[in-house]
Amino acid sequence: MASREVVHYETPITKALRWFSVAFIIVYLIWTLLPILVMFASSFKDLLEAFKIPAVGDWAGIGVFFEFTPTLKHYNDLFANLNFSSYILNSLVAAGGSAVISVVLGSMAAYSLSRISFKGKNDLFFWIISTRMAPAVAVMVPLYSIFRSLDLVGTLPGLILAYTTFNLPFAIWILKGFFDNVPYAIEEAQMVDGATRPQALMAILPLVAPGIGAFIVLCILFAWNDFLFAAIIGSGGAKTLPVATRELVQPQNIQWGSIMAAGVVTTVPMMLLGLVIRKYLVTGLTMGAVKE
Amino acid sequence: MTDTVLSDQSIPGQSQGLFRVRQITDNVEARPVPSIATEPKLNPPASRAYFFGLMAPAIALLACISLYPFCWLIYMSLHDVEIGSAVWNNFENFTKLASDSRYLNGWWLLIQYSVMCLALQIGIGVFLAVALNGARFEKILVTTLLMPMMMAPIVAGLVWYFLYNGTFGWYHWLLQSVGILGPKSILASTGTALIGIVIVDVWQWTPLITLITLAGLKRVPQDQLEANMVDGASQVRNFFAITLPNLYPVLVIAVMLRFMDNFRFIDSVLALTGGGPGNATKILPVYLFEVSFKFFKLGRGAAIALTLLVVTIILGMILVRVFDRQQTRKA
Amino acid sequence: MAKVSFRSVWKKYGELAAVKDLNIECADGTFLSILGPSGCGKSSTMRMIAGLEHISAGDILFDDQRINDMAPRDRDVAMVFENYALYPHKTVFENMANPLKLRGQSTDRIRERVNAAANLLEIGQLLRRRPQELSGGQKQRVAIGRAIVREPKLFLFDEPIAHLDAKLRAHMRGEIKHMQRTLGTTMIYVTHDQLEAMSMADLIAVMHDGELQQLGTPREVYNQPVNAWVAGFVGEPAMNFLTCEVQARRDDVLLTHSNFALPLLPQQVQRLNGHAAGPVRMGVRPDGLSITMRKPSEPVITGEIFVNELLGGDMIVDVQLADARIRVKTAPEFEGVPGEACYVTVNREKWHAFDVENGRAFF
Repeated sequence: MASREVVHYETPITKALRWFSVAFIIVYLIWTLLPILVMFASSFKDLLEAFKIPAVGDWAGIGVFFEFTPTLKHYNDLFANLNFSSYILNSLVAAGGSAVISVVLGSMAAYSLSRISFKGKNDLFFWIISTRMAPAVAVMVPLYSIFRSLDLVGTLPGLILAYTTFNLPFAIWILKGFFDNVPYAIEEAQMVDGATRPQALMAILPLVAPGIGAFIVLCILFAWNDFLFAAIIGSGGAKTLPVATRELVQPQNIQWGSIMAAGVVTTVPMMLLGLVIRKYLVTGLTMGAVKE
Repeated sequence: MTDTVLSDQSIPGQSQGLFRVRQITDNVEARPVPSIATEPKLNPPASRAYFFGLMAPAIALLACISLYPFCWLIYMSLHDVEIGSAVWNNFENFTKLASDSRYLNGWWLLIQYSVMCLALQIGIGVFLAVALNGARFEKILVTTLLMPMMMAPIVAGLVWYFLYNGTFGWYHWLLQSVGILGPKSILASTGTALIGIVIVDVWQWTPLITLITLAGLKRVPQDQLEANMVDGASQVRNFFAITLPNLYPVLVIAVMLRFMDNFRFIDSVLALTGGGPGNATKILPVYLFEVSFKFFKLGRGAAIALTLLVVTIILGMILVRVFDRQQTRKA
Repeated sequence: MAKVSFRSVWKKYGELAAVKDLNIECADGTFLSILGPSGCGKSSTMRMIAGLEHISAGDILFDDQRINDMAPRDRDVAMVFENYALYPHKTVFENMANPLKLRGQSTDRIRERVNAAANLLEIGQLLRRRPQELSGGQKQRVAIGRAIVREPKLFLFDEPIAHLDAKLRAHMRGEIKHMQRTLGTTMIYVTHDQLEAMSMADLIAVMHDGELQQLGTPREVYNQPVNAWVAGFVGEPAMNFLTCEVQARRDDVLLTHSNFALPLLPQQVQRLNGHAAGPVRMGVRPDGLSITMRKPSEPVITGEIFVNELLGGDMIVDVQLADARIRVKTAPEFEGVPGEACYVTVNREKWHAFDVENGRAFF
């Protein structure tokens, strides 16, 4: 449908609109990329160079942004003095753990929900999705007090569980849509051919595997980027990258160089993963309501 | 059976006007057969243990980490909660909210914040999508746009905190050079701080609106556009008459999602202002965070959380309804 | 190979009964076609046989063994699905090998069986392809191939050729029939296309609204429909129905209509069995009528030509009567022109009369 060739007839208005669109796209790209560029550049700058800025109104002075000798000292600092390698590990374990739990349990539940109907299914479904939509802070108030009594605060298992509160409902909801798209007839054919129910499920797994993979990645992304849960539930023993980055902001001494380097370390893996699952991003970020 | 015959000359004397519509009564299939009245004795129902078994672990886990905390939240909201103790306080947590100016202000700020974010994101996002749709390099451009969304909100907040800095922030320099802003950072004065956090949200999440709109644009039925064009509409009119109404459902979804996310995430606000200066950016979730995890008034926090939760659930119900309508339309 | 029996089988979805009190005996080696419009319960019936749906009430037996509670894999049936249900990520060979593999057959045996089936269906050259690289007809052959690699007790075909184009459909009808004859396996074939059922089946079960209407050979179903619904559903072009009055006049019993009054044959009068006067629905197939432009001497129906449809070897003429239209099959040389008066004679051996109230056939 989209590939059909549409004829355009130019009028002065459409022509003007077109030029305006191009200009708008260019301006928007600059504004969207600049903060990322500043983060990258500043992470390689000495602090004095990073703080260099032209006088107000001195448009020609923009060039000072590019005047610096690249240094890796902030990155060195992160790993040599600030213990960032262990925070990376924490982030990985917490995000990965909750993603795997969520997607494994979630796809089992999603598959069943997709294949049978029963009384109260819609209510169950709404409960699942509302769990996901609840404000993080609101969820955290009782969760914190429960986890404290269970000694889970400040531990990785506690953080993994906390992330599962939003990743599991997400996985169930999204993967159900996925299983709904696999014709039941394929499993039926398998069963008539002589497969048991579990064997039939295994047979359709290759069809949903790319999606399941993508949603593991998306769950990792949500958990990795989280700050609130990590700051409260993970505080102390299970410090993750976002929390560690934020802690570099101290009232008297904001370590901008390290912050920018930490920002790069936190962001780059997710940007790459985002590219890998590009196809599923819109579906994932809109809870399956919009498909590309 | 009703037959429509597009000619009026086949049977003389029977034509009535341009189109002849004639009722044919008899040449129909015969009536239905009488149905069997007796009710059967049913076999034992099919076992669905397999499916419920597969579902059980996820549901059980979810109940432990969401349903149980929810009940706990209600319990807490009715008590004075100290570390290790809880005392019934006769709904005081709730009654106090009514006179808590920071609580009410929190709602007002949250609404202001959300409306500003949404208006800008929808405006810019939709225009950008229309501009990008079918453009050269569309794929690469869209992929580039994704970058801010992948960034942890707390990191985005910190980077923008740097950019907004009154002495060395590039963004501040830009605003100052253009003449919009004085020497004081946008985040430092109560009048502009809210706009400061709105800008960051717009920066990070406008691409999502663009992506959603693009997906919607790809599904605008070409034949409708073509039919309208043949009927004599210009491209601009076509956009308003066909494209926009077709986009409406996805836009509703986009608005709802962003609205709820503004309730859910406060990471970047915490990094940028922490609610200040004064209470200028203390939107409700930030206030809730402060009450619960700075002053550790967990009972009070629970009451606030409950009110926030109720509003979110209502929004969620509306959203699910919209989802369903989309699904049925597809089917 | 097996005999299949339905004993008072019901399928209920909540309060809704999709199949009601179904009783069929299908002897070993029979080609049974379950025929009916969509929503008549024929697919539910098939899925109950396969074990894909729970049997709400009653029993299904294979060779007198109750199979209600058996898993699909234990029933030893092979099924061809309406949408083929091929595994998209597997090659044609793997698709066809699947049932054998699931039953733990040796690699050599699998290769031998798949190749034999592929040869029978003339798809040997496609074995390495994947389903999305195949045309509809090829996919359909693969689906059949998957069913015949094994030697099951029973074949279940669920509208397997509904999605093919008309020419290929006609070709496949012959092939499926031939294949079933060759293998001698009992076959249950679900279709909404009466032509498929008529041309292939040994036995047709006509279903409507979840109820079995008639169980009989194609000839019986076509020539002696038990009720007006079956009569109207089977046959293309469809049977003509006219509401007539039964009137006794001197020695004759007449069927009268505003356009005609025709006497019944003596044995038909007998079949009317007391329904001496009053309305009946008269039904006659287009091939039970003949049309002329010149008034013949015998009793006729007088009408006006509405339109002619030339179907190559035949011509169908729509004739306008006072309050109805009937279709008549005639030779393509027929020269009537729309708008002209014409005369239709009825082959009274071939007409039917149905009860106006319940549709039951008198003759």
